[in-house]
Amino acid sequence: MENIIECIDLTHYYGKRMIYENLSFSVPRGRILGLLGKNGTGKTTTINILSGYLKPRSGKCLIFGQEIQKMDPVLRQNIGLLIEGHVQYQFMNIEQIEKFYASFYPRWKKEAYYELMNKLKVAPGQRISRMSCGQRSQVALGLILAQDPELLVLDDFSLGLDPGYRRLFVDYLREYALSENKTVFLTSHIIQDMERLIDDCIMMDYGSILIQQPVRQLLDTIRCYTATVPEGFELQPEEGLYHPSVRKNKLEVFSFLPAEDMEAKLKEKQVPFNDLKADKLNLEDAFIGLTGKY
Amino acid sequence: MLRFSKILFYTTLVLLLVWQLPWCYNFLTSKPTKAPFVLYSSVLGDFILTGNEDGTGIKRRDLSGNEYTQREVDSLLPTFYYRQLMTDERFPDTLQGVPLTVRALQQENFNFRITPSDVNHPYIPLYPLLESMSGRVDLAMPDDVFRITKQGIEFIEMANNTVKEEKSRQFTEALLKKGFTFPSTAIAGNPTTRKEYDEGYLVLDANARLFHLKRTKDRPYVRAIDLPEGLQIKHLFLTEFRNKRSLGFLVDVNHQFYVLETKTYDVQKVSIRAYNPEADAITIFGNMFDWTVRITGAEQDEFYALAADDYSLIKKYEPQKPEKSLAQKLGAYLFPLRLSFTSSSDKYVKPRFH
Amino acid sequence: MWKAIFYKEWIKTRWYFVLALLLTLGFAGYCLLRMNRVIVFQGPAHLWEVMLSRDVIFIDLLQYIPLLVGILMAIVQFVPEMHHKCLKLTLHLPYPALRMVMTMLLSGLALLVFCFVSNFLLMGIYLQQVLAPEMTKHILMTALPWYLAGLTGYLLVSWVCLEPAWKRRVINLAISVFVLKIFYMSSTPEAYNSFIPWLFMYTVMATSLSWLSVLRFKIGKQD
Repeated sequence: MENIIECIDLTHYYGKRMIYENLSFSVPRGRILGLLGKNGTGKTTTINILSGYLKPRSGKCLIFGQEIQKMDPVLRQNIGLLIEGHVQYQFMNIEQIEKFYASFYPRWKKEAYYELMNKLKVAPGQRISRMSCGQRSQVALGLILAQDPELLVLDDFSLGLDPGYRRLFVDYLREYALSENKTVFLTSHIIQDMERLIDDCIMMDYGSILIQQPVRQLLDTIRCYTATVPEGFELQPEEGLYHPSVRKNKLEVFSFLPAEDMEAKLKEKQVPFNDLKADKLNLEDAFIGLTGKY
Repeated sequence: MLRFSKILFYTTLVLLLVWQLPWCYNFLTSKPTKAPFVLYSSVLGDFILTGNEDGTGIKRRDLSGNEYTQREVDSLLPTFYYRQLMTDERFPDTLQGVPLTVRALQQENFNFRITPSDVNHPYIPLYPLLESMSGRVDLAMPDDVFRITKQGIEFIEMANNTVKEEKSRQFTEALLKKGFTFPSTAIAGNPTTRKEYDEGYLVLDANARLFHLKRTKDRPYVRAIDLPEGLQIKHLFLTEFRNKRSLGFLVDVNHQFYVLETKTYDVQKVSIRAYNPEADAITIFGNMFDWTVRITGAEQDEFYALAADDYSLIKKYEPQKPEKSLAQKLGAYLFPLRLSFTSSSDKYVKPRFH
Repeated sequence: MWKAIFYKEWIKTRWYFVLALLLTLGFAGYCLLRMNRVIVFQGPAHLWEVMLSRDVIFIDLLQYIPLLVGILMAIVQFVPEMHHKCLKLTLHLPYPALRMVMTMLLSGLALLVFCFVSNFLLMGIYLQQVLAPEMTKHILMTALPWYLAGLTGYLLVSWVCLEPAWKRRVINLAISVFVLKIFYMSSTPEAYNSFIPWLFMYTVMATSLSWLSVLRFKIGKQD
């Protein structure tokens, strides 16, 4: 499968603080990929590198096979960019901004934009600075849909949106991406939204990628195991066992191991356990299980 | 483009530093220099220096170092301090065998000062030509101003901003008749009504010939002035002193200073070494007996005492060059290249590298 | 596409442009009115005599107006770009970044030049009626460095505004202040005549400084 985005050995520091080292990942055509990570793991850094507004200390990042910082400007016709907070030119109104962008994109789909705008119930002359964050998100989305890019890069699309607008945004985006076979790279701090939207996920930990796999596969395999153990017992984390914790006499540990392998593993480690149970998880719980609460 | 921008950025930065750092250094380290006031005393036959000496206040000395009281100096410089002498009833009846009156002193006294920035400064090349023989006591400004072009002299009426054709023709013809070649290369006059009389203008024509132009009884007065063979005048100053002895001061291309006499139009060489109006300041205190001339160059001062009748040298005084201070020496070493935009010797703004 | 860029800059600056035009024409007009009063009450000859005998040009009031107008133009045009990093949107457009920045600067310069030329026309037309050409030139040449300072001020403040990091922004601002100081070193009329071509050249070159800021923005420099 053709990779739309290809990042190889990205390393970045802010001053002396390392964000990550030798980070590599790729996004194939037609996939919706969500970047998940706790604050400070480098989500924004990655988005900034991808949108061409940050030069990594080393490594390279290719979009459509071209290095982003030196990319032929014409190629940017095919990249839709949503910057954090659905920022758009505040000083323009709905009509002006459409007229402005239209002259830059040969495939401009005016109808797609106005279809969305008509649902907004704002006057055509209303300035964007006077709109709510939700309305702004629709303008930003409408502009991206009209641009009709191959690749969409969305930085924290759920920021500042109430549940209704979030749902609206997610549904529109998913429908669009699926029907037109578009590639999407996005981050969000609300993981529930992602579950409805993304095909693949990358979970970032401090300094590296924890896992990268299709969401379906992730949710099918990850389990939360609980068991009863003597009070005061402690289980050390190790390969395959994520964030074990004991509260009173209840052990909780996350793992991709099937139930029988888990049981064998605990026995091998001579854990005095009873009542081993395995629960399926949603994306948010999986995320917390894999990255920890702290 | 990035390279160009970077070069521009660093060039700007360096130029600003080369400009501002020495300026700040000088501002912080410079001390006021105390130059004494110097006048020649015919009575004493020596210069008298009045100046503030460190810690001891104002001292008055001659060149040999003899100290004088203020009262003594009043008497030694009677033509300068005559008002004090009058008040003290010490005013002498005669000086060097010449009977003295206050009126005669006032008539003969003058001071003349020209700095380089009086010479090097932008100006509007339009000149009012006063009526020099109106029959009235007070001078009056005319209702027109003139310019000298390649074609002739033009008078422009100020009230309606139009050229006075007839008057322009009349004056152009008068100038041409006397051999004037248009345009002019230098014009000197004192276009003000705050003077005793008016002598119009001294004008150098395109061939560097000197002319005297006046308006008398509303008619042109033009006089071609014969200069001594080989004399090439560069700077002109119209004096209009009370005693009417001189018409102007002239400086030639070799920085030699001359007096142009009224009526005879004789040119008299003045016994001072060199005066370059574009770089040096000149101050002259003149009285009926002598002139004290001070030439202030970039580095130091020179004082000359001249006889008032024939401008011959009586005495010369060159103060010792002030020793450069440690801060100045250090400054010269610290800032080998300096940039400034203004200068005390002209009124232009332009980059100057030292 | 450059039309679209002009369009965007026009939307940002149009109200300010009208204000700047009115303000500068207002001040220039006021200076001319004051001259007219002198003419009415004391006669044209008095005006001429004062100008010929002293360093008076009657439009001193205008000295810092073009600078102010230029600086505000830069602020009006580029602060909205830096607000929430809107510049990311601009630079993301499929248009070469250098050409984008230059077109933006050019549109601001064009408006300023229009505004300043209208000032010179107003003054020139009035002055040549009441003053000799030498005097009109004397006044306008004295004002020229002020107007040049307006353009340079615009370019330098644009450079400061577009800079992404605050520390560097302060340094750039300090440099700008000293550069602009050079335009105001003397109150003598026409003192700048021989220096004006150099100042003009610097102004043209100062257009390139913004590119430094934009490149720093593009590689993600921040404090």
